[in-house]
Amino acid sequence: MAFAMRVKVPPNSATLEEARHRTFDFFRAACRSIPAIMDIYNLYDIVTPSQLRSTIAAQIRKNAHITNPKVIDMLLFKGMEELSNITEHAKQRHHIIGQYVVGNKGLVQDVANKDENISNFLKNFYKTNYF
Amino acid sequence: MASALRSAILGHVRVPVVTTGSKLLTPLWINRSTSVRSMSSHDDHLEKTQVIDRILDIVKSFPKVDPSQVTPEVHFQKDLGLDSLDNVEIVMAIEEEFKLEIPDKEADKIDSCALAIEYVYNHPLAS
Repeated sequence: MAFAMRVKVPPNSATLEEARHRTFDFFRAACRSIPAIMDIYNLYDIVTPSQLRSTIAAQIRKNAHITNPKVIDMLLFKGMEELSNITEHAKQRHHIIGQYVVGNKGLVQDVANKDENISNFLKNFYKTNYF
Repeated sequence: MASALRSAILGHVRVPVVTTGSKLLTPLWINRSTSVRSMSSHDDHLEKTQVIDRILDIVKSFPKVDPSQVTPEVHFQKDLGLDSLDNVEIVMAIEEEFKLEIPDKEADKIDSCALAIEYVYNHPLAS
């Protein structure tokens, strides 16, 4: 029932322009389901919707250099599958946090060790022999 | 401003039908209060300055944008150096802020701050 909402037309894109249009449609569908995602996985204190939008855009942009419409269709299919999985709660909170939240500038500090107010010398000393 | 107010009021005012028939023929529910809808909640149109401020805030808080370059006439791709995906992202941010749902055809045309302001201001459901 979740994918009935967002079924993409199966025939392959004829041109790069149509594939581009489909990418934007996919991006819009993903952005429109962000409030539902934040509700399902309780991400209110962790990210803002605009950060999630930026993450999705960054992932789309990673493949922006591709020119073959069929490859773009395949990537969009994978994207739609991922989006469906997320919105029908087939994933869990730590999946979402690990894949889409951490790694943005705001939260990388949570992953690194706590700053214990030791001197720079000691920090380098603990890290490696050569400094 | 006054003309916008006037056209907004004209859109809401209902002129009571005046016929030459006698009072016996007019239905009982036509009375004077049909000309002014005092309990209508559709007069809470957004102010243009409010719309401009909110849209500029959205564009300025976009991570790839330099806030000092943002003016109400700036073009997203030509002046701010964004690409089409960023354009779509800004439009989605505007949709979220004003609680609208912009159809794809209209969204493709929104290319600059001026168009966005105009679209939101003219949208009846913007809040």
